[in-house]
Amino acid sequence: MDQFLQQLVNGLTIGSLYALIAVGYTVVYGIVQLINFAHGEIFMIGAFGALSTYLILFQGQTSLWVLPFLVLGAMAASVGVAVLTERVAYRPLRGAGRLAPLITAIGISVFLQEFVRLFYDKVPGLDFPSAKQKIPFPQIEVVTGPAIELGPVTIQRAAVFTIGCLIMCGAALWWFINRTRTGRGMQAVSQDPDTAKLMGINVDRVIVVAFAVGAALAAIAGVAQGLLNTNINFKMGFIAGLKAFTAAVLGGIGNVWGAILGGLVLGVLETLAVQFLPGGSPWKDVWAFALLILVLVFRPQGLLGAKVVDRA
Amino acid sequence: MSTITSSSTTTGRERLGLRLALAGGALLLVSGLLSWSFEPIFGDISIRLWPVSLQVFAMLIGLTAVALALSPTVLRRALGWVHAGPGLWALGIGATAYTALSLAAIAVEAGGLINANEGAWIALVGALLLLGGGWMVRDRPRAPEAFSAQGPATVEIVTIVAICALALAAAAYALGRDDAWVFVLFLLTLGVIGTALARAEVFEWLGGAAGRHQHVLTLGAFAAAFLFPFTQDGSEINMSIATLVLIFAATAIGLNIVVGLAGLLDLGYIAFLGAGAYVGAIFSGSVSSSIGWTPPFLVTALMGGLFAALLGLIVGSPTLRVSGDYLAIVTLAFGEIFRLAMFNLDGNNGPDLTNGPNGITAIPNLSILGFDFGESHTIAGVELSRAANYYLFMLFITALIVLIFARLNNSRIGRGWVAIREDERAAEAMGVNVFGLKLLAFAGGAFLAGVAGTVKAHYDTSVTPDQYQFLESAFLLAAVVLGGMGTIAGVILGAVVLKLMPEKLRFFSEYRLLLFGLLLVIMMRFRPEGLVANKRRQLELHDDDQDRAAQTDRSPQTKEALQ
Amino acid sequence: MSTAAVPHADAPSSPGRGVVLEARNIVMRFGGLTAVDDVSFQVHEGEIVGLIGPNGAGKTTFFNCLTGMYKPTSGEVTLGGRALPPRPRAVVTAGMARTFQNIRLFGNMTALENVMVGRYCRTSSMALTSILRGPKFRREERESIDRGRELLRFVGLDDKADHLARNLPYGEQRRLEIARALATEPQVVLLDEPTAGMNPRETEEAMRLIFRIRELGMAVVVIEHDMRFIFTLCDRVLCLVRGALLVEGSPAQVQSDPRVIEAYIGGSEDDDISADELTEEDVEVLHAEGVDVEPSRTSARSENGR
Repeated sequence: MDQFLQQLVNGLTIGSLYALIAVGYTVVYGIVQLINFAHGEIFMIGAFGALSTYLILFQGQTSLWVLPFLVLGAMAASVGVAVLTERVAYRPLRGAGRLAPLITAIGISVFLQEFVRLFYDKVPGLDFPSAKQKIPFPQIEVVTGPAIELGPVTIQRAAVFTIGCLIMCGAALWWFINRTRTGRGMQAVSQDPDTAKLMGINVDRVIVVAFAVGAALAAIAGVAQGLLNTNINFKMGFIAGLKAFTAAVLGGIGNVWGAILGGLVLGVLETLAVQFLPGGSPWKDVWAFALLILVLVFRPQGLLGAKVVDRA
Repeated sequence: MSTITSSSTTTGRERLGLRLALAGGALLLVSGLLSWSFEPIFGDISIRLWPVSLQVFAMLIGLTAVALALSPTVLRRALGWVHAGPGLWALGIGATAYTALSLAAIAVEAGGLINANEGAWIALVGALLLLGGGWMVRDRPRAPEAFSAQGPATVEIVTIVAICALALAAAAYALGRDDAWVFVLFLLTLGVIGTALARAEVFEWLGGAAGRHQHVLTLGAFAAAFLFPFTQDGSEINMSIATLVLIFAATAIGLNIVVGLAGLLDLGYIAFLGAGAYVGAIFSGSVSSSIGWTPPFLVTALMGGLFAALLGLIVGSPTLRVSGDYLAIVTLAFGEIFRLAMFNLDGNNGPDLTNGPNGITAIPNLSILGFDFGESHTIAGVELSRAANYYLFMLFITALIVLIFARLNNSRIGRGWVAIREDERAAEAMGVNVFGLKLLAFAGGAFLAGVAGTVKAHYDTSVTPDQYQFLESAFLLAAVVLGGMGTIAGVILGAVVLKLMPEKLRFFSEYRLLLFGLLLVIMMRFRPEGLVANKRRQLELHDDDQDRAAQTDRSPQTKEALQ
Repeated sequence: MSTAAVPHADAPSSPGRGVVLEARNIVMRFGGLTAVDDVSFQVHEGEIVGLIGPNGAGKTTFFNCLTGMYKPTSGEVTLGGRALPPRPRAVVTAGMARTFQNIRLFGNMTALENVMVGRYCRTSSMALTSILRGPKFRREERESIDRGRELLRFVGLDDKADHLARNLPYGEQRRLEIARALATEPQVVLLDEPTAGMNPRETEEAMRLIFRIRELGMAVVVIEHDMRFIFTLCDRVLCLVRGALLVEGSPAQVQSDPRVIEAYIGGSEDDDISADELTEEDVEVLHAEGVDVEPSRTSARSENGR
């Protein structure tokens, strides 16, 4: 039982990460029916954005007040890149079938990975480490450090931070989608882009906002991942992105709350599979991808289904 | 209607433009005979009347320019159908870029522009004249002969054979270049001349000729490919690059059945190559294989193909319920599962089958009917190395795959695939067995990759999971997309370019993935049909069902509103 | 049916002849919406039957039920006395082909290839024969090409065989779609608005084409909005309103029936969701997305997220 509780906590932690990234897939898909394959890379770039901010401004600092700046730096990097890719690569392809944008997305994904790998240590004027191997991520007081013992369960401080982030982001997202003009515009566009356009909604802007919102959450996930794992690398986006996509599909792609639920469920299932299925940890990705296939084949609408009301 | 009278009423401006272009071409030709640099670089371009490398390239461009510029007048009877205007314009731009880059190369290699000699400057002047002339004639209308251009059969056949021979020579030459500048400038020259000829609508004629003499083209191409090892006397490095290119091309053609014909985006295709490779490795008698049995290779190849086809059936089975980009993700997930499974079947985390991340190494060379692929053989006085043996064998397999692709494409099955790609629901409503054909595409494509994989295992001498990761699938897809989906020639071209560049250029091997990621994005944006456009070009990339319905249907909404 | 090309110079049918196609009590519900409500009808050999009705009356949905593109909630379709399974491919093989309201040709295939796709269900060469080019393959391929050209000539497109379908003018695309349907050697052809968007001259041609199809011995069912067209062409006319069969009879009877006029003029549909629009478009979209649509279970509106 203790085992189970411990795994549950671990699962919820990793699930929170998946959930934060998955929102980006689902928001974009809900609006433009595009699997933004490069979203995993946006998450990776968030982590590198945070690291860069740290290296430039706060080298050696470990106080908690640094953290908000790291998050901001991560967001700036992620949102910037995401909006740029939308503008440069996806927008010209709008209405060009479904194969072309997907191939483009794969191209962007490969490009971003390689770009970081090749050029991170070559930024002029800055002395960044090479991204060809793992880079240690800054450790911040309070959110990293000795684990918290809660009865039989051990909880990493970064895990608390991660789950906390998910809760805050979920609340902010709810407020944004239901209480702001832009959020309601997003709902409208996801239901019927043509009518929304006729109603005076700037569809282009809504799409950019969708990319930006997804990127911002992915950036937070990037910081959380860095704190959890204590290091980051240029490849971290690929598998995480694929898992997050699994989570989005699991919850019902296009449905924000589905993505969050899907992320948590996937995280828990994965850790439980490691514990209770033969083979252990080396096979956990196999189980996750098998789950993705099973969901796509047998319940493509996911757990919550692609509901209209919340389909922003 | 102006086209009908155009060639007889060439305007003064156009006449001037043609003359300028002619002069430019002539200057480029002459420049090749002059010295380009004080330094004996690039195979010594400092000597007069002895054109090498850069000088020869300039002369090739010049020759093309002269031919195009004379086509409406002196060469009218032979080349009157050529669309000279746009061709010269493209050639002018290309020639300018070429000479500028040549000067840059000389400056870098010889230490400053001061070391560029008269020939290089004359070439630049020639290119600029060509550019100016091209600009003046760029809107020159198409000659009326263009529409009915069809030469005598012998001329067409000779042309096709000559092109095959030229391609062979170009490939041999390109592979032989060790200097990155010369290699790049040679590719640029080919690109410039190719683009100019394409703009001049020469390829339309060639396409027609190739269509009329398809067998000549196919045989010629394979004859050229077959003769290739004999041009590389003993060069193991070049032959091994060529073999890698062939393996890559064969796999890409297999993928092209799935993506190009049936329109199913398969992002896990490399797994089938890997499946074949693992089967080939496990039954090879390698010491790190856990199975001691070694059947004859032909049996292994068949097993590899069948195992891959079985995986293909499994990957394909969700197509009954899943389509479009969801399907692409399913294939991607399958590909990852394959890699991870190969990684984990090492005896610690699962049954011992693949030796895990270390892979199966020391795979012995192929030996078919007593012919040992590991040894050199001397044929017609030319030594054929180990790589050449594999090259010829892979050529045979590639030929088979091309044959299978071409024949399937031009059959009931192929039409069914294309119909599915175009409009799945309509295909079904016309009685096409959609699910069966999709499975056939997956299984068939997988089978071909599997067979290629068994050879690859022996050629590489080792098989590891990392060789079959997602990026390799994306790389294959890039070859298909770059070349032109649904075409054979295009995909071979794409495979050659994508594989050759990183092998020949250190620069490219580091930036290989970066560049092809960029390439995918750019191709989708500007030329989704690829370098070699399919007869049914543009595929479904330019529109999907709804768009097409909206285009072709004369606005059903309006019609309904009227009632 | 392999001799369908030989014109049967029989006189136009009379209801006394054998029944080819029969639909019994077809009901199609999408959630709470009943798109087709208990419709039964018969088509006799060599008969031309017209299907009319205001927008959203469920005509196309009814066609989709007949051809197996939808599985009717209840009811049965028989062709030549045998029950048709609700699968498009089985329906075509059994001998009923259709055209689409919004033309659905294979745009990047040539006209001839489009027609040859229609031959798919009448040929059987599989992969191996195709690769080896066995005698069976060559015979079938020859036959398919000959038959394809014959049909292109029949619809007046023999000079367009090598044109891409997407490059054909609109009227020719409609005719090509008919040729493609005829290539499946049907006993019954269903034409969904064959003259939509055509000018009077093209409409006239289409009419003659349909008469000639009948002369080949096939029965034809036509959905049309052009009343003059329907009443000149058809032996019998059915009028659907709100999914239900309102009137059935000779053109003259239907034309003079006050209920038909009422249905068209009364504007009874204007505040309803058009069933045709809803089902055709949305179910398509959902299929395309791989969503498992069981129309009878799913509320069509609730998943209409596009």
